[in-house]
Amino acid sequence: MIPQAWRAFLVALGAPFRFWRTSLLTRTVAITVALSGLAVTVIGGYMSLTIADSLFSSRENQILSETARAASTAQSLFENSVTASGSIDVETANTTAQTAIRAAQSSPGSSGFAVLRTPGQITPQTMTSTSTAGLDLSVVTSELRSRVVSEPSQIHYQSVTIRVEGEARPGIVASALFQVPSAGQYELYLIYDLQDVQSTLTLIQRTLIAGSLALVLAIGVLTFFVVRLAIGPVRQAAKTAERLAEGFLEERLTERGEDVIAVLARSFNKMADSMQRQIVRLANLSQVQQRFVSDVSHELRTPLTTIRLAGDVLYAQRDSYSPENSRTVELLITQIERFEIMLTDLLEMSRYDAGAVSLEVDEINLVPLVEDCLDQLAPLAAQKGSPLLLEVRGGYGESEVDPRRIRRIVLNFVGNAIDHGEGREIVTFVDSNEEAVAIAVRDWGVGMSPDQVLRVFDRFWRADPSRQRTTGGTGLGLAIAQEDAAAHGGRIDVWSVEGVGSCFRLTIPRTPLAGWDESPLPLPPESMIIPELNPRDVSEELA
Amino acid sequence: MSARILVVDDDVALAEMIGIVLRGEGYIPIQAFDGADALLKIAESKPDLILLDVMLPGLTGIEVCSKIRETSGVPIIMLTAKGDTTDVVRGLESGADDYVVKPFNPKELVARIRTRLRPASEGSNTVITLGDVTIDVPAHEVRRADTPISLTPLEFDLLLALALKPQQVFTREMLLEQVWGYHYKADTRLVNVHVQRLRAKVELDPDNPVIVQTVRGIGYKAGGATSAADSAS
Repeated sequence: MIPQAWRAFLVALGAPFRFWRTSLLTRTVAITVALSGLAVTVIGGYMSLTIADSLFSSRENQILSETARAASTAQSLFENSVTASGSIDVETANTTAQTAIRAAQSSPGSSGFAVLRTPGQITPQTMTSTSTAGLDLSVVTSELRSRVVSEPSQIHYQSVTIRVEGEARPGIVASALFQVPSAGQYELYLIYDLQDVQSTLTLIQRTLIAGSLALVLAIGVLTFFVVRLAIGPVRQAAKTAERLAEGFLEERLTERGEDVIAVLARSFNKMADSMQRQIVRLANLSQVQQRFVSDVSHELRTPLTTIRLAGDVLYAQRDSYSPENSRTVELLITQIERFEIMLTDLLEMSRYDAGAVSLEVDEINLVPLVEDCLDQLAPLAAQKGSPLLLEVRGGYGESEVDPRRIRRIVLNFVGNAIDHGEGREIVTFVDSNEEAVAIAVRDWGVGMSPDQVLRVFDRFWRADPSRQRTTGGTGLGLAIAQEDAAAHGGRIDVWSVEGVGSCFRLTIPRTPLAGWDESPLPLPPESMIIPELNPRDVSEELA
Repeated sequence: MSARILVVDDDVALAEMIGIVLRGEGYIPIQAFDGADALLKIAESKPDLILLDVMLPGLTGIEVCSKIRETSGVPIIMLTAKGDTTDVVRGLESGADDYVVKPFNPKELVARIRTRLRPASEGSNTVITLGDVTIDVPAHEVRRADTPISLTPLEFDLLLALALKPQQVFTREMLLEQVWGYHYKADTRLVNVHVQRLRAKVELDPDNPVIVQTVRGIGYKAGGATSAADSAS
């Protein structure tokens, strides 16, 4: 499908960025290569410029001195050509001079010369201006000529472009002046082709570039290996740490040498040792505690059974006792029952604390379970005058729960409601959604203050210790209920307002420890069977 | 004639107290404080029912139970401090008919004892056939061909309950009520384990039961019934 392909494309596009982010090696190598590339470029560029400069200037100097020599040679030659009578055969001298000049122009790249008469002179004789055959005189620019004339004592030069076989090459024209007796001032122009210098320079530049690239590449490769070497131990440490985290407590790093990596390895191993010891110790402790719990369980129950039996035997004969003894036996019996419940609760609580609780999961329908609990507590509720009502809005399907624990929670909720319900109705709601099921028990009794609500799950905490408990009441009921809910991956929520009533809502996922978002029941749920129960007008209460 | 009940528990005070309770109900208690002693007393006094503590020094209660079951079908009720562990299942698998969790209501204990000691059901005066197994009700015998199959009274009761109504599917709750006398939600493991024990004895292939069939999601029923001449239901 098109979106799929597009997504794949974007992923591929982002790959280099991800690679950059995740690979230290890549980053290091890339940065090193980039920076060294920059450095090399700068240095290479500077070197190239300097070399070019020096090459050219040395050639220049050579040319200039040559030009000066040539000019002075010509000059002296012409001066020596003057006969005793003061006349000079300029053309002969010219030829001689040309030979001499040609000889003088010995620097590489010599490309001819020209001897040009300075214009605007009136002289007895005129020597022919000459130039090397085939020389393109346009290289001698008028600008140069005017400069030469205006400053006769200096050697002048100009960079020009020489055309050889259609190629444009760099060149230099150097000039000097000399005087031909009786023929006036002549300008000597020596033309040089600098192509060879250029070629040398180009060669050097190419070599520099190639060398730089090779250098940068070498640096890159070197960096790669060195960094890999350095990171190696770190990578190893990361992998080992991950294995440790997965539970392979035996994993360690190899300790080699004395450097900081070795120090890392040693510290890491020490840490892993300590962690392993701790975990093993705690696991053992948990096991020890579990065993203790079950041993205590057995040890206490046998004498308790004897006491219970004894109490029951006495109780059975209470009619034959004095009223005081009869009452004594009653108290004995009720306290024994209370003791039994407390013992069970305490053992259950310590099982949760030791983490030694396993759910016995069954696929059951929650509605009959709730009905059962209500039936069980019906007599007690009748005693207090509270009608027990059931509103089932959902939750008929099968849920995977530990029925014993859910039963315990519901009995606790309803029991508390009976004790605090002030004889008013107690409604149990059941509902479900896709992910979870909920059971809520709501009463319209005495309610709790916000402080009390915060503490209601505390162990052994009672809202009102003086209140008559009909349902055992060890103070651990809600604490255990909370643990039972948590064991399923669920939660208990409380709503309560003083003088109005309370609601305890249990929400658990359909399968143990599955995730869930919202509870199927609101808190508190409004009764649909008995609308009169819903928020009454407070003024009615006061009236 | 009063029933003799053997109480096997290493806790002296508890054993004595149970004895007092039993005497109050018209039974004759005999006491043993460990497994070896128990086996001796069984040979000597031939009790009608045994109350057996699971945790005993030396031979464990479970070992004693197995030993007893090798030769006798006498009703055995286990006394255990741990009602929700594998101990219970193991105890039942070794042959105990029922179990009671300490601390228990003496009325509860007495009810269990009474159920186990009640006279055999006067159900019907016939022979019932299930597949190739014949149940001779008055003679209290079960045979395949002519080979007798030895069942404990509980196992016989269980088989009979199913066989008397061969078309009826019995839920575990129904069986708990009828065979064990529980009128409230009790441990269905009792039924599961004893059905397994029954199958091990009565079926040709316990993994493919024919006589005692499972009905998934509901319970059990008797299979292969041909005729139940005059059904007393």
